[in-house]
Amino acid sequence: MKSTNYSKKVLDHFNNPRNVGTLEGDNVAVGRVGNPVCGDLMDIYIKVNDEGKIVDIKFKTFGCGSAVATSSMITEIAKGKSIEEALQISRNDVADELDGLPPVKMHCSNLAADALHEAIKNFKEGKKGPTEIGSARYACPSGEISETKGVDAYLGKGVHEGYEDLEGMRGKRVIVVEYGNESIEYALELAKITGRVIVMTPLKELAVDESLQKAVRRSDIKLLPQSELVEISGGKTVEKVLIHDLDEDDNYELFVDAVVIPR
Amino acid sequence: MKPYFLEDFGNPSSLHEPGDVASRALEKARRDVARFINAGEAKEIIFTSGATESNNLALIGYAMRNRKKGRHVIISEIEHISIHNIAKYLQKQGFEISKVPVDYTGKVRLEKLQERLREDTILISIQHANNEIGTIQPIREISNMAQEHGIAFHVDAVAAEGLVPIDVQAGGIDLLTLSSNDIYGPRGAGALYIKQGVRVNPIIIGGGQERGLRSGTEDIASIVGFGKAARVIMERMPEEPSRLEKLRDYLIDNILSHIPKAYLNGHPTDRLPNNAHFRFDWIEGESILVNLKTLGVAVSTGSACSSKTLQASHTLISLGLLHEEAHGSLEVTLGRWTTREEIDAFLEILPGVISRLRSLSPLTKMEELKE
Repeated sequence: MKSTNYSKKVLDHFNNPRNVGTLEGDNVAVGRVGNPVCGDLMDIYIKVNDEGKIVDIKFKTFGCGSAVATSSMITEIAKGKSIEEALQISRNDVADELDGLPPVKMHCSNLAADALHEAIKNFKEGKKGPTEIGSARYACPSGEISETKGVDAYLGKGVHEGYEDLEGMRGKRVIVVEYGNESIEYALELAKITGRVIVMTPLKELAVDESLQKAVRRSDIKLLPQSELVEISGGKTVEKVLIHDLDEDDNYELFVDAVVIPR
Repeated sequence: MKPYFLEDFGNPSSLHEPGDVASRALEKARRDVARFINAGEAKEIIFTSGATESNNLALIGYAMRNRKKGRHVIISEIEHISIHNIAKYLQKQGFEISKVPVDYTGKVRLEKLQERLREDTILISIQHANNEIGTIQPIREISNMAQEHGIAFHVDAVAAEGLVPIDVQAGGIDLLTLSSNDIYGPRGAGALYIKQGVRVNPIIIGGGQERGLRSGTEDIASIVGFGKAARVIMERMPEEPSRLEKLRDYLIDNILSHIPKAYLNGHPTDRLPNNAHFRFDWIEGESILVNLKTLGVAVSTGSACSSKTLQASHTLISLGLLHEEAHGSLEVTLGRWTTREEIDAFLEILPGVISRLRSLSPLTKMEELKE
């Protein structure tokens, strides 16, 4: 079966998703599962009444066709059920209701049930409202910058500790480790002369002036929050970096030409 | 090619009359394909079952034959998956493989290629153009480097054939892979150009067809179709590529100017005339593909969700893209029958699809779209 060979029901839920949106107010909890790195991220919002019944449910999903369809379907299945009944909904239930999913897509439907269960868990623990998303599952980053391997070896060979060499960055893929306002002002200058500027910070947001944060959002700069530089590697000059995602506690490689680590 | 299915099914190796008909057809196709890439002689063309076999014959055949000279082979990070997997196989056979990184536009970094050259390097294999993002490589510069060091140069030209002029002599190319179905010919035929004097071991042993380099009775009908496809495409050069290039630029300009947070992957100008490759922040490529499919448009994506392996495209990652950006990419290729009206219809529906999927995504930052 081809990975995009979807049933009519899957396509219907994808094309006309039910219960899209977010919920706010009392007795609301949200469950988030997935990781955009893997290509899926799902938020499911539930509103529960005094009898423990799910009276309203909404979702937001980043993912493939079946990820959207399974999110939509689970909101229909869970609506009106008690939270105990809703905890019994499995990935297979969701897939069955959709008249099946391509085998490689079963992980997507797994997510929809997980997100619902996560929301119920958060509700029971009294974590209400979307502000709880980040801290519900993951430890907050410490903000301390750990030692990066390869900095000394590549100093002057793609690693820069200051902001002196702006013109030399033209056309290069540059990663800038956030270090106050000045580092972001430099990144914004870089974005004018090269198409690929990445700014990383171990924090959830940039710890710089609001006007600079806004300027970054308006620019083509790619922001990597909750990220740390583990290692710089390459041949005679920099070719790659290894990044630690603090949110997922996971490492991944990124091809770059230059690294700016202000000191 | 039809008569070779229905009437003239002689074996080209046989000495009887039907065999002669078949062997004349085979040699005509060989001349056509040779002319297509400006090979010096028709006998430099070895017919195979397709590009994958040609790549196998080029890399494994050359490496095995020349292993006494050295055991080091260089490929690029963005080669077709068949080259990557053949390289892995060679590694198991005791060869060392180095991969050259590319820049943000997908061009091989020549200074990094230079760094990887060694005394025992015997072969460099770099594609003419990339099959996903369409970036065209500096073939002449690479072959100069290879020649200077006495290293053989293999070019996988499958993505480029029929879209950019291929000239093995001017390009200084030793081995070159072609496929039939990528120039609108039938499936089941391909070719490897092997420059006279370049020695390769066969990987299929048998009755000695194709100068002993590819045994097995030739698939005459497919090969005749391949030769015909090469003739047709030569007649359409250079008008068809320049027609496609205009349509491509029209498509790219429109998408980048009308959809916020949309980016072009690959090189802005040195790209295949039929290739446009985009990414859109906050949404996933397979969902764009499925949505467009329901609206009658066929496209491709670098998203893992559409692949057999559930891995994001290695080509897009090699450009320096993050996994979520690779997942959000969309490949649009234009063909011989693509019209301006079809592009307009596509441009009409795409912004709606993108904004619908963005409204579903938790990653979408509406304030960034407004700002």
